[in-house]
Amino acid sequence: MKKILSVLLLSLIAWACTEDETQINDNDSFDRAAMLTNWADNIIIPGYVNYNSKVDVLAEAKSTFTSNPTVENLSTLRAAWLAAYVSWQKVSMFEIGKAETLGLRGYTNIYPTNATEIEQLASSGTYDLELPSTRDAQGFPALDYLLNGTATTDAEIVARFNTEESLSIYLSDITDRLKNHAALVLDDWQNGYRDTFVSNDGSSATSSVNKLVNDYMFYYEKHLRAGKIGIPAGVFSNTTLSTNVEAFYKQDVSKTLFDAALQASVDFFNGKHFDGNGQGESLKSYLDFLNTITGGEQLSALINNQFDQAKQISSTLDENFYQQVESNNEAMLFTYDELQKNVVLMKVDMFQALNVKVDFVDADGD
Amino acid sequence: MKKSFLYLFFAAFLFTACSDDDENNIPSVEAPTTYTFERDGNSTVSFSGQTTRIEMGHELLGALSVNDTDNASAELLLEMFRNETADGGDANPYSSADLNASTKSIKSKTAASKDFFSANTSEASLIKADFEAWINAQAEDVFVNKDRQAEAGVSGQIADGSSVRYVNAQGLEYNQLVGKSLIGALMADQALNNYLSTAVLDEADNRTLNDNGTVADGKNYTTMEHKWDEAYGYLYGTAANPADPNATIGDDDSFLNKYIGRVESDDDFAGIAANIFNAFKLGRAAIVAGEYELRDAQASIIREEVSEIIAIRAVYYLQAGKAALNPNDMGPAFHDLSEGYGFIYSLRFTRMPGTDASYFTRTEVDGFLEDLMGDGENGLWDVTPETLDQISEAIAAKFNFTVAQAAS
Repeated sequence: MKKILSVLLLSLIAWACTEDETQINDNDSFDRAAMLTNWADNIIIPGYVNYNSKVDVLAEAKSTFTSNPTVENLSTLRAAWLAAYVSWQKVSMFEIGKAETLGLRGYTNIYPTNATEIEQLASSGTYDLELPSTRDAQGFPALDYLLNGTATTDAEIVARFNTEESLSIYLSDITDRLKNHAALVLDDWQNGYRDTFVSNDGSSATSSVNKLVNDYMFYYEKHLRAGKIGIPAGVFSNTTLSTNVEAFYKQDVSKTLFDAALQASVDFFNGKHFDGNGQGESLKSYLDFLNTITGGEQLSALINNQFDQAKQISSTLDENFYQQVESNNEAMLFTYDELQKNVVLMKVDMFQALNVKVDFVDADGD
Repeated sequence: MKKSFLYLFFAAFLFTACSDDDENNIPSVEAPTTYTFERDGNSTVSFSGQTTRIEMGHELLGALSVNDTDNASAELLLEMFRNETADGGDANPYSSADLNASTKSIKSKTAASKDFFSANTSEASLIKADFEAWINAQAEDVFVNKDRQAEAGVSGQIADGSSVRYVNAQGLEYNQLVGKSLIGALMADQALNNYLSTAVLDEADNRTLNDNGTVADGKNYTTMEHKWDEAYGYLYGTAANPADPNATIGDDDSFLNKYIGRVESDDDFAGIAANIFNAFKLGRAAIVAGEYELRDAQASIIREEVSEIIAIRAVYYLQAGKAALNPNDMGPAFHDLSEGYGFIYSLRFTRMPGTDASYFTRTEVDGFLEDLMGDGENGLWDVTPETLDQISEAIAAKFNFTVAQAAS
């Protein structure tokens, strides 16, 4: 009798101890190629096509404005800037292939932008926008400054562009650069890289799945969670840094940009088609295929629930993140906390389930 | 059942009875919980000169960083290193008035320990010349060429993630060379080979004066107490609370303190910060109690642990650099390997306890650096993973840790 009891006790302990562990299904016969195909054809390429079309509109509005600076043309240009900026949020996470080689995100959306440097480079007339040191003087944040920060009233901004040709030239150059980059990346995807990407369907560290999952995680952690919320909210510094919000000069669109980015992250996780018609293989279906259970629940469900939580909390934020940080930073911190919870679920549990190793170090190695 | 218990009991008793005989018969000195020592109600702890030099080091590192527009001249940078003008006159290169008023300098204590360099001024002057060459080159080569892309054989800027690094033609960041080499040549050398040395602690009649509690002229401390504190100051001189430095270890400077913190946060080495601090505390208490063997035993501990920190970080950065090697994106590797270079340079100033020697001779250190830079014509542009592994293994072999442990 005693023996049976102790065996029972031991197995009870063993069961209790393993209940919360994420069970890994070693038999991974998941169709990675199908997932890569869904990513490439239904999410990434349509995303870049959309981004290109918006940037083309932006470039046109820019030409109209620089050839005839008026308040009306400035308004049109601003609208085009915002539309392109929103469409950028949907592709920023795909820093792979040509985007990786170009360092696309670095030249497209580094903020806070460096207004002093912009003014200096513009007035000097000579600059090399390829230099990494100019990344904080180009891209969408630099356009934000040029369109919204170069003077206090719209009339004065327009006046500057009317009188300072160098400023118009700079505006034109950085806009064209965005357009050129966008075209290069889309062209690469459509003329070769798509096939390379899809056929690299193994599970090594350099396989498409492993690389893109890491890119996604890096984007979520560093650019969405930290860049848009954590850093301005002072999570990584002694004080809040309200001037480090995205779209600091326009100010009242930070939330729009954040929402687009968060939704893009959710959609990618679920394999939702860019055009909204349907859903295909992605991380959610992969996790479900592996029957990944964490703490007794489907991991994919936990992650999606947590995304919903983040969306709910962030919906209470002001459109103007600068104001939000200044007046009630706590709301930013609540949002950060909800975003952070998914970092744990994804970076630890999901990565482990998919047998993917994290390939980036986020700590400051200095 | 009962017999085996009795035997166990007996064996345990035997064990505890015997173990005491192996220890030296040192009367127990109790260290205070914090680094607090007083005489007549006033503190006897003082290390302002060390704090000053760490702060000078911070200003120098700041000025060595590349700005978009306003970069320091070679002359100004060298003045910050020397705290005097080129012809030996009074200089005021710092932004802090206190530092400008000071007569201390980084240069005068670089490669200047009693044990290693009092009879080796030729090597000392070569080392000081290395620092001045790096500082000069930062201004005359890197600052000047900051607005072009770096390539193999061409100095300039290069991306490292969202940061920008400024490298020489061989891919080295001079500011990292200066910063990480100072950890060895200034902080470690002064602490391990000067102020913890019996040649300094027991100089002249320090022992007798200390035994009698005779304080130095106009001060509240004995000379021996003060020398020990000066070693302490090179690790904790800018700590938020100098009496309890481990509360903020790693955050208090850009030099030795920072890297004690970094190594401490590696699970493989957790506890090292406490080991070092406790040895400092106990050694200082031993001085007050006149227990000089105990004092020197603590000095040995500090020498071993601080030397290990330098070696661990050298391997860490070599391995990080190896992981980052990417011919299309060398910036991250250059940054890691430049830090690695500085920590390798610092190996020269480590101290093997119980000896008069460093863990690696100057020749050995020079050999490592030549290997690091010698895989091709363009230094770090050509370095191979095999070379990085070879150097890492050679360093780790002299210590108790593995490359894998240091690299994590």
